[in-house]
Amino acid sequence: MKDILTINNLSILLRKNQSQIVKNISFNLEAGKILGIIGESGSGKTLTCKAIMRLLNEKKFTIKGSIRFKGDDLLKMKEGQINNILGKDISMIMQNPMTAFDPMMKIGTQIVETIRAHTRLSKKEAYFMGMKELKKMNLKGVSEIMNSYPHTLSGGMLQRIMISIALMLRPSVIIADEATTALDVKTQSIILDEFNKIRESGIGLIVVSHDFGVIAKVADNVIVMKDGSIIESSSVYEIFENPQKKYTKELLNSRLLIREMRHA
Amino acid sequence: MTRYIRNKFIGLIIVLIGVTILSFIFSNISSVDPAEAFARRTILNPTTEQVENLREEMGFNLPVHIQYLNWLRNCIKGDLGISLLTKNPVIYDISKKLPATLSIVSLAFLWIIAITLPVSILSALSKDNFFDHIMRMITIIGISIPNFWLGFLMLVVFAIAIPIFDVVAYGDFKGLILPSLTLAIPIASSSIRLLRATILSNMNKDFVIYARARGISRNNIICKHILKNSMPPMVTVFCQNIGYMIAGSAIVENVFSWPGIGRHLVDAIIARDLPTINACVLVIAIIFVLLNLFADVLNCAINPKILQETGGF
Repeated sequence: MKDILTINNLSILLRKNQSQIVKNISFNLEAGKILGIIGESGSGKTLTCKAIMRLLNEKKFTIKGSIRFKGDDLLKMKEGQINNILGKDISMIMQNPMTAFDPMMKIGTQIVETIRAHTRLSKKEAYFMGMKELKKMNLKGVSEIMNSYPHTLSGGMLQRIMISIALMLRPSVIIADEATTALDVKTQSIILDEFNKIRESGIGLIVVSHDFGVIAKVADNVIVMKDGSIIESSSVYEIFENPQKKYTKELLNSRLLIREMRHA
Repeated sequence: MTRYIRNKFIGLIIVLIGVTILSFIFSNISSVDPAEAFARRTILNPTTEQVENLREEMGFNLPVHIQYLNWLRNCIKGDLGISLLTKNPVIYDISKKLPATLSIVSLAFLWIIAITLPVSILSALSKDNFFDHIMRMITIIGISIPNFWLGFLMLVVFAIAIPIFDVVAYGDFKGLILPSLTLAIPIASSSIRLLRATILSNMNKDFVIYARARGISRNNIICKHILKNSMPPMVTVFCQNIGYMIAGSAIVENVFSWPGIGRHLVDAIIARDLPTINACVLVIAIIFVLLNLFADVLNCAINPKILQETGGF
């Protein structure tokens, strides 16, 4: 399979005291595969994702290394270039759907805004496109959803809208940072099923979680991060059947969900 | 929405009654007797008997609560009494003076908006840079400078040292500029601090990160998302400030010899002109209260979440 995202020697340093938060990590993402990144809070998972999307405040962080997306280095791109890629070629599913949407803007307007940032569609065309895409997520009452404010919808509903927005412009990479953490178990499993469908359509997915259950259910390959370094990286089967590092074993043992996974 | 406004409205009427009662009580606590003050102004060497007669005539001999109820009854009929100082109906005096104040205040309000919005956005964007530091210093000076001193300063600089404006200039638009700026500068300074802080706190919100992740351009994020979300507290503050400016216009009106309602009120207080004092307090309170209502309604209109949260109220 072809690599669409290649991260090489990525380091993230705090500008203030030059302390290294993410240490020299390298990995790649293949099209049509799900890469799980797992680690406890503070291990640098989220920073890595934000660095890929250039969402880190460059006044606060120094980023070294390279992040190649289809051959081009994202870290060397100008703001305008990166804006063309974000949301279109690389899109993101955020951790907390309840706070990710602008509370003072209707869902429809936020969808139209996203589509129009990357296409030349008129407002009306973008609106219809948004409705069509929401229907694909099996959401009911699409026109009401377009017309409502985020606080009137449930977390699970918003998360599915967010996935729908992520898919809307046919990206090659989707980054889901703790995308299921804020949801209840049932909604979580619906979302994970969606991830599996996304993989089948040939999109490369990075799923970040601190929950081995989530990773076990969807990932093809797994990276285990600790204190800013990758300490283990292999296929999901290898990680679960034959973890090499003590830390990975500890993480595995602390999850009851693993039993469920072994039966699956 | 209608129920929300109706509930607010009932609250506002209670506030108005409270304000006028306080105004009555404070006027009565004062040791200067309004009947005697009036007698001394109108009659040369009034006798005790004459003062007593006047007192009875004007109703100042009655207990305070009866006086208040009488006043309230007349007030509802639209009669605010006769001024003891000018002998005109109070309402006539006020209707003459109010437009002068309103014209300063509205121009001051435009200054505030025109200064606050661009400066706060630029300060927030260039946080901790040169511009931000300079603005921080200027706004701190602006907040701490007393209104009357700023007014004198303006007069000395722009009417005497550099005679662009006239010292006494009531009547034309040019005359409005200095007094309105004097009113606007302290309020604009504090508004800049507030809006800058609100914008900065909104910049780190999840919805901004998500908007960036969707590839929305920086300018659109600032104008459509951050500014809009920073507006609710500003709407309240701006509307309250209009109220403060009307109530606090007395000082600026005195400095610039401006015949507005603030100065009228001060004159009435000095002359113990009770009907005028009460009427001025009532009018200012009504304006203040209506502005607050307006701010609430406006906030509901731009932020649908408020209605849902306080719908039960």
